[in-house]
Amino acid sequence: MADVVANGVRLHVQRIGAVGAPRTVVFIHGLVMDNLSSFYFTLANPIGEFAEAVLYDLRGHGLSERPTTGYAVATLVADLAALLDALGVAHPVALVGNSFGGLLALAFAAAHPGRVERVALVDAHDGTAGWAAQMAGTLGLRGEARDTKIGESFQAWLGRHSERKRTRLAAAAEALVDGTSLVADLRASPAMTAAELARIACPVLALYGERSDVRERGEELARILPACTLHVLPGCSHSVLWEATAEVKARVTEFLRGQLGERASGRPDGDPVRDER
Amino acid sequence: MTAMGSTEDILRVVEKLVLEIAGDELLLTGPMTLQTSFNTDLELESIEFVALAEKLQQHYGAGVDFVGWISKKELDQIIGLTVGELVEFISSCRT
Repeated sequence: MADVVANGVRLHVQRIGAVGAPRTVVFIHGLVMDNLSSFYFTLANPIGEFAEAVLYDLRGHGLSERPTTGYAVATLVADLAALLDALGVAHPVALVGNSFGGLLALAFAAAHPGRVERVALVDAHDGTAGWAAQMAGTLGLRGEARDTKIGESFQAWLGRHSERKRTRLAAAAEALVDGTSLVADLRASPAMTAAELARIACPVLALYGERSDVRERGEELARILPACTLHVLPGCSHSVLWEATAEVKARVTEFLRGQLGERASGRPDGDPVRDER
Repeated sequence: MTAMGSTEDILRVVEKLVLEIAGDELLLTGPMTLQTSFNTDLELESIEFVALAEKLQQHYGAGVDFVGWISKKELDQIIGLTVGELVEFISSCRT
């Protein structure tokens, strides 16, 4: 089953591992230059050994439909809720989010606390004040500045790309940024407050790159969230998933596998809340 | 489930499925060979690779566990993958 209509939009979905397993892990990729393939080639299969891994392309991304509107955080959260409904997943799920996908995981957990048993964040934006402006600024870049930014993204994205492939991907990104309400919708999305984040009681694993520009978001989450374990990965930038794939795979698998049957206890996993090296 | 067939048969199936996914966008001059590289020659994007995996599964059945196979490879190996390696893998799944 590759296509699922959820919230009125056709979403590209891949399910790996035991369909119908008692545990479900949903992967949420990052914004614009990303799609479900980054998790497909890294974390999905090891997770699929003990749970059902559900991967989907956000609206406008990958092989999903690209409607011209509907990119506010609340809408993307509603997309995920509708997707779980469409898949018949009624039990609480674990969410794994990379970058903007981590923000969506937090927003979903805040909006639907009963549907989330735990959250793993990979260098996630946290949705607090200033987030949307920062991201919209990056996405709103034009000309040479944008080309530079796209080039930076590609260095981390499966290593290398030819000029031709880069042009194709840039065209897809441009269609999303210029041809939809994405940037305006993100700008208009209300920031999450510390009080909202503090109500996310389920265990959260936060992996951040030592040199990442959002590392302080991870440190802030470790302070605010009741059950957050932070790991800072030495030498890594924002592209932690690519730069430290083995460690991310090991830590996320341990975090998700180690707690079978223990749901939303509100206790941090073993390690002290802050574990910076 | 379709019978695996010869290396040549599998190669033609892979070619047909890749063309279905990438269509006219595909950079392919002449017929696909076992030496054709997915990344360098075909310039298949990673999301298209995901689509190819699904089509292979539909064609050959669950016995061809492409995802399990690919996930055991390092990223450099995935990037360097040739059509021949994929054909050999499919052939090895023959029961």
